[in-house]
Amino acid sequence: MKLDTSGFETTMPMIGFGSNNDMLDGFCSVPSFDLPRTTDFDGFQKEAVQMVKPAKGTTTLAFIFKEGVMVAADSRASMGGYISSQSVKKIIEINPYMLGTMAGGAADCQFWHRNLGIKCRLHELANKRRISVSGASKLLANMLYSYRGMGLSVGTMIAGWDETGPGLYYVDNEGGRLKGDRFSVGSGSPYAYGVLDSGYKFDMSVEEALELARRSIYHATFRDGASGGVASVYHVGPNGWKKLSGDDVGELHYHYYPVAPATAEHVMEEAAE
Amino acid sequence: MSIFEYNGSAVVAMVGKNCFAIASDRRLGVQLQTIATDFKRISKIHDHLFIGLSGLATDVQTLYQRLVFRHKLYQLREERDMKPETFASLVSAILYEKRFGPYLCQPVIAGLGDDNKPFICTMDSIGAKELAKDFVVSGTASESLYGACEAMFKPDMEAEELFETISQALLSSVDRDCLSGWGGHVYVVTPNEIKERILKGRMD
Repeated sequence: MKLDTSGFETTMPMIGFGSNNDMLDGFCSVPSFDLPRTTDFDGFQKEAVQMVKPAKGTTTLAFIFKEGVMVAADSRASMGGYISSQSVKKIIEINPYMLGTMAGGAADCQFWHRNLGIKCRLHELANKRRISVSGASKLLANMLYSYRGMGLSVGTMIAGWDETGPGLYYVDNEGGRLKGDRFSVGSGSPYAYGVLDSGYKFDMSVEEALELARRSIYHATFRDGASGGVASVYHVGPNGWKKLSGDDVGELHYHYYPVAPATAEHVMEEAAE
Repeated sequence: MSIFEYNGSAVVAMVGKNCFAIASDRRLGVQLQTIATDFKRISKIHDHLFIGLSGLATDVQTLYQRLVFRHKLYQLREERDMKPETFASLVSAILYEKRFGPYLCQPVIAGLGDDNKPFICTMDSIGAKELAKDFVVSGTASESLYGACEAMFKPDMEAEELFETISQALLSSVDRDCLSGWGGHVYVVTPNEIKERILKGRMD
């Protein structure tokens, strides 16, 4: 299979079509793919994707408000029913003014975000100015599109602050790229959306936005089995991102819903069913 | 995910000195979504006999109702409570009746027998009895529970120490399982009293 390997090189990308096409020199064209030699092509593709694709068991969210972008995520990694880690960093620092969130395959997200950081830096050096959030998300989306159908699992949000103000894009492994004000990604996203949408106002202060983001992640971890651990919240302002809080969700529950201490009673009653 | 992991559950029972403890988690879920955090998995058959059922929640409730019915009938006929060993055989027979369309649950039975000797056993969903002298586990978190109990268990613990041990084993195991947890429910039974306690656990 001929892949677009420009992600792995720092020189000009190889051209996929015939190399005698002068017009395409200097452009990154769509690579041509060799097909695998198999009798059941669709079945083989399905199997390959299912084998590699882990479920997007997580909750991440991001929203734009008056003071910038708020980005929050949980920290649980699950393999089926087993919790493999409660302390995964799901908010990836691409560069000092841009953040990416991780949902889906951890290796995929980490690699491609780091790769994106490299490309952004190269852009800065080549053009003497920072890359826009729109440009950065487009670079990532195009790269993921060229690997479409190969089993990458990436559901990420690119959040940053550039000359046009705060920017937020959703990019996924299908090659989709959406611009928006509010996104939540992962198995816990329906629960997070419920809290986020009902509490959202554009004119919030940083503290109110922090509390809204933290509360949304907390509610998602309560209802969703695949989310949990620590709720981290970052803020992206005109001067770059800053981590605001990282609260253990187990403790947050009793902070929001304190329990009156119950006394142990002798229970000698009829089985009333 | 298999049908046994549809609702999520964790049940454990431990033997102490003339006492026993039985504990379960409190989550009821539909695959990854949590529906309730106060689901009762452990039920009393009589003052010295408890049964905890893990697995599909609807079968947990139905099986429990059938067993209570059979025990009440036994009480009327024999004018006494059933011994734990006898009850275990009854459960095993009821489960095997449905050999080719089983109840999708794994019971954990704990009771005080003759001379207040503690008795625990577990079964698979078609009634294979497994007696143990120390502890039995069942549910989606069973592998973690085996590890935790093996590490924390000591023979001949008194009621208070037994409570601490079983609670720690339960909480640490369900904290490694997406499908169980959200609190804990512990019964510690001695010849003279039953102590029921709710555990504060991680709610994620």
